[in-house]
Amino acid sequence: MFRRSLNRFCAGEEKRVGTRTVFVGNHPVSETEAYIAQKFCDNRIISSKYTLWNFLPKNLFEQFRRIANFYFLIIFLIQVTVDTPTSPITSGLPLFFVITVTAIKQGYEDWLRHRADNEVNKSTVYIIENAKRVKKESEKIKVGDIVEVQADETFPCDLILLSSCTVDGTCYVTTASLDGESNCKTHYAVRDTIELRTVESIDNLRAAIECEQPQPDLYKFVGRINIYSNSIEAVARSLGPENLLLKGATLKNTKKIYGVAVYTGMETKMALNYQGKSQKRSAVEKSINAFLIVYLFILLTKAAICTTLKYVWQSTPHNDEPWYNQKTQKERETWKVLKMFTDFLSFMVLFNFIIPVSMYVTVEMQKFLGSFFISWDNDFYDEEINEGALVNTSDLNEELGQNREELFLRALCLCHTVEVKPNDTVDGVTESSELTYMSSSPDEIALVKGAKKYGFTFVGVQNGYMRVENQRKEIEEYELLHTLNFDAVRRRMSVIVKTQTGDILLFCKGADSAVFPRVQNHEIDLIKVHVEHNAMEGYRTLCIAFKEIAPDDYERVNRQLIEAKMALQDREEKMEKVFDEIETDMHLIGATAVEDKLQDQAAETIEALHAAGLKVWVLTGDKMETAKSTCYACRLFQTNTELLELTTKTIEESERKEDRLHELLTEYRKKLLHEFPKSTRSLKKAWTEHQEYGLIIDGSTLSLILNSSQDSGSNNYKSIFLQICMKCTAVLCCRMAPLQKAQIVRMVKNLKGSPITLSIGDGANDVSMILESHVGIGIKGKEGRQASRNSDYAVPKFKHLKKLLLAHGHLYYVRIAHLVQYFFYKNLCFILPQFLYQFFCGFSQQPLYDAAYLTMYNICFTSLPILAYSLLEQHINIDTLTSDPRLYMKISGNAMLQLGPFLYWTFLAAFEGTVFFFGTYFLFQTTSLDENGKVYGNWTFGTIIFTILVFTVTLKLALDTRFWTWINHLVIWGSLAFYVFFSFFWGGIIWPFLKQQRMYFVFAQMLSSVSVWLTIILLIFVSLSPEMLRIVLRSVRRRSTRNPNLELPMLLSYKHIDSGYR
Amino acid sequence: MSEKYMWVTCRTRMKRKCQNYESRLPDNTAVKQQQLPAFRLQLTASEILSGFFAIGLFCLGMGIILLLSAKSIKEVEINYTEKCATCAKLREEATNFDKECNCSISFYLPQKMEGNVYLYYKLYGFYQNLYRYILSRSNIQLVGADVKDVRNCAPFRTSDNGLPIAPCGAIANSMFNDTIVLWYNFNSSTHIRVPMVRTETAWWTDKYVKFQNPAFQNLSSAFAGTAKPPNWPKPVYELDENDPGNNGFINDDFIVWMRTAAFPNFKKLYRRLHRIGNFTEGLPAGSYSFIINYNFPVSRFQGQKAVVLSTLTWSGGSSLFLALTYVEP
Repeated sequence: MFRRSLNRFCAGEEKRVGTRTVFVGNHPVSETEAYIAQKFCDNRIISSKYTLWNFLPKNLFEQFRRIANFYFLIIFLIQVTVDTPTSPITSGLPLFFVITVTAIKQGYEDWLRHRADNEVNKSTVYIIENAKRVKKESEKIKVGDIVEVQADETFPCDLILLSSCTVDGTCYVTTASLDGESNCKTHYAVRDTIELRTVESIDNLRAAIECEQPQPDLYKFVGRINIYSNSIEAVARSLGPENLLLKGATLKNTKKIYGVAVYTGMETKMALNYQGKSQKRSAVEKSINAFLIVYLFILLTKAAICTTLKYVWQSTPHNDEPWYNQKTQKERETWKVLKMFTDFLSFMVLFNFIIPVSMYVTVEMQKFLGSFFISWDNDFYDEEINEGALVNTSDLNEELGQNREELFLRALCLCHTVEVKPNDTVDGVTESSELTYMSSSPDEIALVKGAKKYGFTFVGVQNGYMRVENQRKEIEEYELLHTLNFDAVRRRMSVIVKTQTGDILLFCKGADSAVFPRVQNHEIDLIKVHVEHNAMEGYRTLCIAFKEIAPDDYERVNRQLIEAKMALQDREEKMEKVFDEIETDMHLIGATAVEDKLQDQAAETIEALHAAGLKVWVLTGDKMETAKSTCYACRLFQTNTELLELTTKTIEESERKEDRLHELLTEYRKKLLHEFPKSTRSLKKAWTEHQEYGLIIDGSTLSLILNSSQDSGSNNYKSIFLQICMKCTAVLCCRMAPLQKAQIVRMVKNLKGSPITLSIGDGANDVSMILESHVGIGIKGKEGRQASRNSDYAVPKFKHLKKLLLAHGHLYYVRIAHLVQYFFYKNLCFILPQFLYQFFCGFSQQPLYDAAYLTMYNICFTSLPILAYSLLEQHINIDTLTSDPRLYMKISGNAMLQLGPFLYWTFLAAFEGTVFFFGTYFLFQTTSLDENGKVYGNWTFGTIIFTILVFTVTLKLALDTRFWTWINHLVIWGSLAFYVFFSFFWGGIIWPFLKQQRMYFVFAQMLSSVSVWLTIILLIFVSLSPEMLRIVLRSVRRRSTRNPNLELPMLLSYKHIDSGYR
Repeated sequence: MSEKYMWVTCRTRMKRKCQNYESRLPDNTAVKQQQLPAFRLQLTASEILSGFFAIGLFCLGMGIILLLSAKSIKEVEINYTEKCATCAKLREEATNFDKECNCSISFYLPQKMEGNVYLYYKLYGFYQNLYRYILSRSNIQLVGADVKDVRNCAPFRTSDNGLPIAPCGAIANSMFNDTIVLWYNFNSSTHIRVPMVRTETAWWTDKYVKFQNPAFQNLSSAFAGTAKPPNWPKPVYELDENDPGNNGFINDDFIVWMRTAAFPNFKKLYRRLHRIGNFTEGLPAGSYSFIINYNFPVSRFQGQKAVVLSTLTWSGGSSLFLALTYVEP
């Protein structure tokens, strides 16, 4: 949506390709070159959706696009146009209420957006024009303007830093509002503009910036600045994300900076990132829609039956038009087919309460309010990061209770302790020191800390020199010449430094597989043993190598590097090529090993999830040995688990990879099928009884399996692979690229039975996986905030997953499932007597209940108890839920919303509706209900049924409520009291605005009869008896099955987790 | 990946300034932690069963009481559709509306009916609960506010000559207008007319609040400019000329009729026994006859008419249904 409007507003799609040229200060760079002003969009931010004029039509249109709202609108329109038995108010009022509340909410949100937009757009900024500081409104900034920003101000648009008040041209920035990282980051000015610290000097700058067209990646920027000073040839400098100040970020600890605007308004990276995440729909919502269709069908059937019977009944003339109920002239003249059609519509309107508007309101409210419980939970609070859980969406709460099959996770590992091998050298320390104490990679902090322990302290960077304090407390200085950054392809990084003696050294650090081929062979053997040994024990290993660069060579290298850095196109490939050339022929110095300490209680959590019937897949980028040992450590694999390996190691033995793969696949399948005969219906049971299998697969093998899909019969591979996966208790996928993770999620999602997937991860590389799965959970780890920003829920620690799923997920599911079932139940109870009454009133659409009751039933009389239930119910104690994961299995597979429970509720409702109606019907057969012989009419009949109905459905909920807080007491007894009070009130006054005073004293008169009292009590009791019988049967059955339960093996670790958990 | 390394972050001094050290620990309140004190309802089988039996026992007790009291109730129903076949035939033609037709039905009461005795008429197959029928009335007119308000009364709003009908509407028009008189045949020559009260058959609130005559000295002038309903033999202000408190809209028979019945077979209270003279104790056993002035046509819609004599107890009529269902569990 945004994109589209953006394109309309600003540049066309074709302009996006290639680069844009920005003239700093909008000065032409030279007189000879004609200054062509490129058109860019202005700096106005429009995040609002509506204007004052289009709010009403646009908002209404959007609201009625929802099927439910549209349905109710249709019903309302029928009521208005066709002469129907119930007044349009009965359905119009709730609809109006829902629409108004939503419109007000959305209007308010939009107003806030307008205000925020205005605040941003109208805020004052200072622009340097003609060597003067000019005060302007933010929205007037044009691309190319030089902007002055002071401390603690936010940047009004994306700026290239030209100079700051500090000598070295740096500034500190916090990007908390962009990505949630509240720490300070340093940004740099280009060396040549650092000196321009005054208004005059900066105005004299003649420069042009070439940069890519705006794109949403916050961390990517490629550009080049050409500086024309004193008519000498332009100096070109490369620009990267470290030079770009993003709109929305705040300047910190720097007095002021000058920057030139490169992206403005809707083209800033912040605006480009502002887009709604795709809506995820929960399984419960799908069930609701399915039930809705069933009930819609029931509704249409009822209306059709009544219409047909009406015309059958009316086929005898004395029924069609008895002398006491003559037709009006208009009625006689109406065309019969039209009459039938309007009759059908009238019946539909009469029975439309079977699908209640209020259910949607209640469900929304339940989700919205319920999600607060997650963010309020103290157990999810983590002192280290000073934050609790975060809920980004409230639509999926119940889905947490539904993760039946798979659970993906990565990054169990956050280092807490560090071990550095003693064979580390001085240089190794320097190497890692460059990476600072505040690096986002925990490994590097670990290394620096480790070095410190061995006597080499990294002091800091000063003027391009890195300073290290050695064991003798002397400061050694190294001039940092180049940093060859880490990337996932090379899996290594290097620095080039100049020592105090003038030698130029290159240090390289990287994964063993990345470093070994690049060092002299004879050095490898000894260290390789160490590395492999360490890797086996679950350490993350790095190798360190160095090489001396001769000054001549350095000149060449330097030139190549600078060239590559300047490149606008394919910069990354070019850099990579240069890096590749430089990092050769190195000498291996040593290796480091960092212990991956598992997060607190990771093993217990995994064990609990396992016991809860979840299938756990581990997707990691780590190497196989490390990942395997991690899996052992977190008890994903037990000692008796038989491992099936599908890795390069097992496959590369043979020449034809595919053949070997095929062989392995079929072999494994045979093994597993033998183990689990096809008849095993419940996998869960099978797991506990049979030998456990674990599958290990690595990235390259996986792509072999997935990519071979072009060949004939290749699909086979995939399906065999999936069959194997489904039979294994745990699957470990190592050496995964981020995109492969998402691929696996998609693959599993499309499996037979479409299992519900949950992904949990903490790194930026988990984002694609988190977005792809049904429920994405981010860990607010140390590796940045991308994961938690993109997730549906974010928790501080992995261990919190246990409570999130087992307690919150379980409870939410039970609550909302009960809510949905109860809503359909109570409305079927409500409308069935109305339907039955049609058989006794000649199918004339006479409503059984008064209009006020029809309207208020769902809004006032029965809404609050179920809402309170759906927010507060804990059918099982939270502590029990967390400590006994097997309980989770009870609700897996959307158990409470399957056909069985649905039929139970429907039959219960049908039974109760019938009891209400015929019970009261037989009561009315007696001579008189009153001791004075007075008789009651149809409104009394309806009111008796309605009273029984309200009491029965409320008491039914009371029977279902296991957790009675004072709120439950208040709303349940309060609702009943309110009903009685309202009925007295409604019948106590002649209401001047009503045409008919049908209810006048009906309720009071009704209660004066002993028979009515007795009937009400009796029928409530009869209606509830099946429910009570069910409870009896269930508890009897529970007692009889209690003994076998005890024999099931208990998982050993629970006891002590519990004590440690609180 | 590479961005991580580029963004060398603040030194520790700065870091302290930048970070917000306010604790974001969620409030430790019972509501937020879902730890509200609560009663945990654990229904066990024995609890439920004992509750079940307790209620069952209560029901049994109630049922026995109800059965006993229902047993004491005497009820006589006489269907006179067949017995007055000639009158029924006459009434089948609407044109005969002005012809009188009387019909006498004799019956024998083997046991006396003690206490208050109520006389009902009962209609079979008369749908007072038809949707259009129920709507066809004017409460503004009936409450005496505006006698000429006939807006909702279609198809009985105005008479042929254009005058608004009072009381308008289908319900009022179809009012039951048979006259039923009960005679006690003391012996073959002495026939005593059983004294009946024609008031206090309607709800108190209906009679004194919901239905009001228009405020005029003279009732007939209050209804000036209106027409009688087409089916009525006489205008509304002549319903009970002897008792001004029972005339016009506040006539009990009229009010009872206006409270529409729930089902097509229904009873409506017609008269109460006036317990004087021979009838102080109730109706003595013996021979009786109903003299019925047959006006209300039922054979046109294949309906039936009946008279019901009944005594009542504290729980109303003979609620055998209630008694039996109470005994059952």
